[in-house]
Amino acid sequence: MSPAEIHSLALEAALREEREPHADPEGVPEPSEVEVPRALRREIQRSMKRYPQKRSASIPALWAVQRRYGWCTPDGIRQAAAVMGVTPAYLESIASFYDLFHLEPTGDHQVLVCTNISCWLRGADELLGAFCEAAETGGPGHSSPDGKVYVRGFECLGACDIAPMVSIDERYYGPLEPADAADAVEQMRMRGEEVLPAKRLEDRGAAGGKRNPADDRITAHTMNKPKRPRPKSAARKKKS
Amino acid sequence: MSQPIRNAVTLNIDGREVTAPEGTMLVDAAKHGDIEIPVFCYEPKLGEPVGACRMCLVEIEGIPKLQTACSTPIRDGMTVYTQTDRVKGAQNAVVEFLLINHPLDCPVCDKGGECPLQDIAMGWGPGKSRFTDPKRHFQKPLPLSPLVAIDRERCILCYRCVRFSQEISEDEQLVLHERGDRSFVGTFDDRPYIAPFHGNITELCPVGALTSYTYRFRARPWDIEDAGSVCTLCPSQCNVKFTVRDERALRVLARDNEDVDDGWLCDKGRYSFQMLASEERITEPMVRAGDGTLAPVSWEEAISKVAAGLRDAGTASAVLAGGGTSNEEGWLLQRLLREGLSSPNIDSSASGARADLVRELSSPALGSRMRELDYADAILVLDTEPLNEMPILDLRIRKAVRRTGAQLLVASEHPSSLDGGAAEAVRFAPGEAAELIGALAAALGAPGYEDDGPHAEKAKAIAELLRTGPDPVIVWGERLFRTPGAVEALLACAKALGIDKRLGPGLLEVPESANGRGLREVGCLPGAGPGLAPTQTGAAASGIRDGMVNGEIKALLLSEADPVRTHPGSEAWRKALASTFVVSIAMFDDPSTAYANVVLPAESHAEKEGTVTHPDGRLQRVRPNVPRPGQIRPTCQVLTDLAATLGQTWDLPDQPAVLAAMTDDVDFYAGISDETIGGQGVRWQELASGRSWGPAVGGRTDNQGDPPPASAGSGLLLGTYRDLWASEVTERNPALRFLKRGQMLEIAPKDAETMGLENGDGVRVSVNGTSVEARVAIRTRMEAGVGFLAEGLAENNGNALVNGAGTRIEVEKTAPAAEFEAAGMGQKATVLSLEGEAAAR
Amino acid sequence: MAAETRILFRNIDEPGLASIRTYRRLGGYEAVKKAYQEMEPEQVLHELEESGLRGRGGAGFSMGKKASFLPRGDMDKYLCCNADESEPGAFKDRELMQKNPHQLIEGIIIAARAAGANRCFIFIRGEYDLQGDILDAAVEEAYGAGYLGTDVLGTGQQVKLVVHRGAGAYICGEETALLDSLEGKRGNPRLKPPFPAVQGLYGGPTLINNVETLSNAPHIISSGAEWFKSFGTEQSPGTKVVSVSGDVQRPGNYEVELGVPTKLLINDLAGGPPKGHKVKGFFPGGSSSPVLTGDEGMKLPYSFEAMQEAGSMLGSGSIIVFDETTSVVDLALRTARFYHHESCGKCTPCREGTNWTVKMLERLTRGEATPMDIEVIASVQENIIGHCLCVLGDSMAMPIGAMVKKYRSEFDDKLISQSYSAAAKAA
Ligand SMILES: Cc1cc2nc3c(=O)[nH]c(=O)nc-3n(C[C@H](O)[C@H](O)[C@H](O)COP(=O)(O)O)c2cc1C
Ligand code: SF4
Ligand code: FES
Repeated sequence: MSPAEIHSLALEAALREEREPHADPEGVPEPSEVEVPRALRREIQRSMKRYPQKRSASIPALWAVQRRYGWCTPDGIRQAAAVMGVTPAYLESIASFYDLFHLEPTGDHQVLVCTNISCWLRGADELLGAFCEAAETGGPGHSSPDGKVYVRGFECLGACDIAPMVSIDERYYGPLEPADAADAVEQMRMRGEEVLPAKRLEDRGAAGGKRNPADDRITAHTMNKPKRPRPKSAARKKKS
Repeated sequence: MSQPIRNAVTLNIDGREVTAPEGTMLVDAAKHGDIEIPVFCYEPKLGEPVGACRMCLVEIEGIPKLQTACSTPIRDGMTVYTQTDRVKGAQNAVVEFLLINHPLDCPVCDKGGECPLQDIAMGWGPGKSRFTDPKRHFQKPLPLSPLVAIDRERCILCYRCVRFSQEISEDEQLVLHERGDRSFVGTFDDRPYIAPFHGNITELCPVGALTSYTYRFRARPWDIEDAGSVCTLCPSQCNVKFTVRDERALRVLARDNEDVDDGWLCDKGRYSFQMLASEERITEPMVRAGDGTLAPVSWEEAISKVAAGLRDAGTASAVLAGGGTSNEEGWLLQRLLREGLSSPNIDSSASGARADLVRELSSPALGSRMRELDYADAILVLDTEPLNEMPILDLRIRKAVRRTGAQLLVASEHPSSLDGGAAEAVRFAPGEAAELIGALAAALGAPGYEDDGPHAEKAKAIAELLRTGPDPVIVWGERLFRTPGAVEALLACAKALGIDKRLGPGLLEVPESANGRGLREVGCLPGAGPGLAPTQTGAAASGIRDGMVNGEIKALLLSEADPVRTHPGSEAWRKALASTFVVSIAMFDDPSTAYANVVLPAESHAEKEGTVTHPDGRLQRVRPNVPRPGQIRPTCQVLTDLAATLGQTWDLPDQPAVLAAMTDDVDFYAGISDETIGGQGVRWQELASGRSWGPAVGGRTDNQGDPPPASAGSGLLLGTYRDLWASEVTERNPALRFLKRGQMLEIAPKDAETMGLENGDGVRVSVNGTSVEARVAIRTRMEAGVGFLAEGLAENNGNALVNGAGTRIEVEKTAPAAEFEAAGMGQKATVLSLEGEAAAR
Repeated sequence: MAAETRILFRNIDEPGLASIRTYRRLGGYEAVKKAYQEMEPEQVLHELEESGLRGRGGAGFSMGKKASFLPRGDMDKYLCCNADESEPGAFKDRELMQKNPHQLIEGIIIAARAAGANRCFIFIRGEYDLQGDILDAAVEEAYGAGYLGTDVLGTGQQVKLVVHRGAGAYICGEETALLDSLEGKRGNPRLKPPFPAVQGLYGGPTLINNVETLSNAPHIISSGAEWFKSFGTEQSPGTKVVSVSGDVQRPGNYEVELGVPTKLLINDLAGGPPKGHKVKGFFPGGSSSPVLTGDEGMKLPYSFEAMQEAGSMLGSGSIIVFDETTSVVDLALRTARFYHHESCGKCTPCREGTNWTVKMLERLTRGEATPMDIEVIASVQENIIGHCLCVLGDSMAMPIGAMVKKYRSEFDDKLISQSYSAAAKAA
């Protein structure tokens, strides 16, 4: 075939080209097409009311989704989008911007090991290694084989005074020795067990010393934050 | 808020004195001095500058840091340098940074040769890169949609495409994922990006990251020509350029015109060039033989057949001018009919528009320019869905809400995609337009209107917001003419608001057909001749139809009109067409052409020469870009030949001659010529002829709306609406075929519950024995008691059931949703009319 | 400890301080009463301006002056407390919020009066979950006691306060990114102008201040601007809660008068580097401040002006000390990785420059860098500085640039010794 012929065939093809979408598009969900669990809907609606503009509730809504499903599942994002009247793409874009939102399944318990400067100077890399080893995650950014413990390195968590430190299920602990990792992982695996009770940030005084008193124990407040029901490991599926 | 007056500001750029209007950004001001400052992310069409790419850094005297010229408004006396070493250093740095992750695969990239990145790297880059590490990798071109491919490696993260999706079309399907240099453009869950305007991103992308499948690898800039025209597929009449290679149109691009389209196109307009060279096109005259098949004939034979048919019918002839009929053609058609056959039966839409009202509405004092929307204090969208009927208007309204904070008010039968951004969104039942607008007139204090009916409350709320500022614009749909009294009430509202007394604000009609306004003005309206001059009243579309059935009308000429598809009462139309002599000028074999005795090939908007009139009165030129395929002749010539055969000598050898004769005849078009129209068009209201507009009287036709409902019944009230994709264009362009949609019965959740219906259920919807098949779609924003169907579908057309206002439907479930799902036909696959939501303010 | 001057930290370890009862018992919420019942908004503003209180979040801009930029009039005005505290080395806001949340809330209510703000938000980083819970509880108590609500202390002024949790992004500490994030968008910085004081949250006038800045307000109102100015230096009045961490024996928050010797903070209060080690260098104001060597830095007074003069900055007031066992090249890589990870990606020099810098430093630590690379590293930092949309890019480029400059031999050593040994291995 001459180049001219090839070219004219290409032209013909262009004028007949037809493609099918590879999936359904997703605009603002029609509320009637999305089933949203009552409690989730209520929580998101309440968040929306707290701000002059409803979109301000996107982060709270994603928190709600993540607490409910363990991670920001596509279905969960769609549900939040349906309640908020925005596109799921909008919320997914937000979720992917922030480090604390997971767009993939993670473990029941989250261990964030600070590896930033101050902690690094005091042995954070070893601590991260120790956690990974204790939970057998095979490296940072993964979960233990039983899906119970997820470990990842994290940027400065704002607790360099207890370096090297970790955040376990949103509470801070430090300073830790690599040996603490095994204890912590075991405690997480045991239902009802307190994790590293002697290393809690709450118990620390301003200038480093131990802070005393039991009457000062702060009880978590739940006004806009129901306690996270931990997802069942079995219910998680890998994002395809 | 009226159009701001901007003073001239003088500054110094690179030693040159430059003057530009106040508020101009430095980059644009520099152009006044022939100085080019390179930009990537800056695109004024997208709104406020974002200052992201940092390509446009310049030095400004008195400011220590370099500043982005794209976001710095000019000030009097400011001194700017764009060529210093410091600036060059910054430009080199930015280009070097941009290229470290760019694959530099120009030889195989479609953008090559018309790529801003290529140009800027050559003109402002350091020439070589010091980056030796591995580049970022993504999977090479992936389908972003069936129409657009995305190559993320080429993306320079300028944000233009996602800004378009967020802030212009507001469909918010295209977003940025991740953060920092991991960021990439994408959709939710890797879904396709399918939205009515998404093709614009291929034009916005300054690199080869977003390309059209229909254009990839087809041509290089050096072997194509661009020529300008106007898209006549809908009343938006967007200004376009066809990219032509080897006499074929391969691409449609926007030709920015702020007075018309703001530089955007909808996907229907952008991707409807395949049909021009389609094998399905009618390219020669044809006559129906005794066995019912169409056989090609010579032009001479075809014309004599048509002439004979029309001559026989004589005063019982009729014309329907539709779709892309140009002003010239419309004017010739009415002349042929009125002078040649002494028949008054000509119409150009299905609305039954009344000549006296049309004349009143056409007054320059009442009309609004397209641009007026940019300065409106409040915009009322009355019984029209711009997204479906005039898509570009949808973008323009969103722009006004987003950028200038216009109060948006929506009053419609069908839920609107503009509801989300509206300060007030009101639903009324099909057929109740007159009551609602009457209530509004009462709330505005119009004499003769009083209301304490069910709409009073809502009307008061709208009235109050309409008075937010002195400049409201009311966008209304031509279908208001279908409800007696609605347009009168609208006029009363306009007067009560004082719109007729102020320059600027006013009414903007969304006509039913692409050149609806032009066709009326040149005389394709019963009771109004050229220039809307009172004339003998003839039958309107529905009257023509009924006349055909009862023998009063014996011949019908369809000019790019397909009443079976677009007009109410499809079945009645079929019957009518089957019983008379029908001539159809058409591009494709459509449902009406199927009944034609003679078929004449029509020119497309890429082949035609002529003028059209925008809904705001702007005359624009449609110009030939590609040769007419096959035997196709200019329709003007065909009509002239036909007239000659009927004994009329017109001496109008070509289009310019017709234009001249037409502007002589239409008094307010006087003085309009190809030159005055130019590339950007001209509003007749702004010419001397327009300013001499005087009140004309007479020519009243009674509203020829459809007969009252046959039965009151107890079912849901039927409502219909036009869907953007329910059109021949979707079917004839292979690239758009995936958008072909099925019929849906849209109902409110409450009705669904009482009727035991779920999303996706199959139903049969019937009226008096006529029925269509549909799938159920539950719409939360709909009021109970109404069922909506789309008009204009090739099958299961909602128009088939329309039988005048107040029609009620029977709904019978035929198959549960699960059955469709099992067959792989999920609910969503049919729902492709996507609703972007204006951001809540 | 004698060298500390505790104002914000006065009762910091008092049991129960986080509850309104204890806070009030110790004299809390008196300043709000004074500001709302005895003073006009202009007077409150004047007092704050007079005090010379400079922002404690990084830029050190006069707090009162910033509040005075907000237009008058009765449109909705916003106040955002910046509690994002994500700068490596900073942890003072955490302690202030966790242990004394009402001091902050009181400060916010006072600042709201000065600025005429009616809707206030505390933007707290998502990682501070415990502190967020504590603030939520405290805010509810303050509403209950009538300090917050539609009619603060019967004056008719509305002050609503919402605790908004972020979700992990350093850039949201940048004030305009904070606004975008609070509006529910990705946390990308905005172009300035317009400045937030004119067009901020939801397009309305907005005052943004750091936790510590706002926590100072009750004390200034209670005791007066003159009293406040009696602490610190002329250009840096007041005290500062300084987070000291890294290679020191007693890392922690120490509240000192501005202008005290840096040495006092590092050696006396924080205990200096572990026994037998010495201070090789330190970041004086968080990881984005250019590092100072021990020799040049220890003798400087700890104030905004002294740090600036020394070519660095006080920033958020967070000292990270590293001793002589630390490889500055490794430190540079750690620092660059942080900014690369946190760059929002909106503007080119920051997005690509941080990425490029990390790649080059990684290569350097692997011994695969050519001698040209160190020049390129330095030049890339220069190509970033002053060219970005916000200062995140500069925040990497300045310390990295300073490290290359001040510890150049370490970079060269890495290059030579590593490639030499690599060559030796190959031979
Ligand atoms: C990248 C970046 C991160 C910042 N992070 C914080 C922060 O975490 N907390 C904070 O108070 N200020 C932070 N700032 C400074 C803020 O932009 C802003 O200047 C400050 O909140 C103003 O409060 P102030 O005047 O009370 O200091 C940051 C600035 C930048 C550029
Ligand atoms: S895909 Fe194109 S338009 Fe979109 S961000 Fe990338 S370079 Fe810009
Ligand atoms: S064009 Fe000015 S920053 Fe992109």
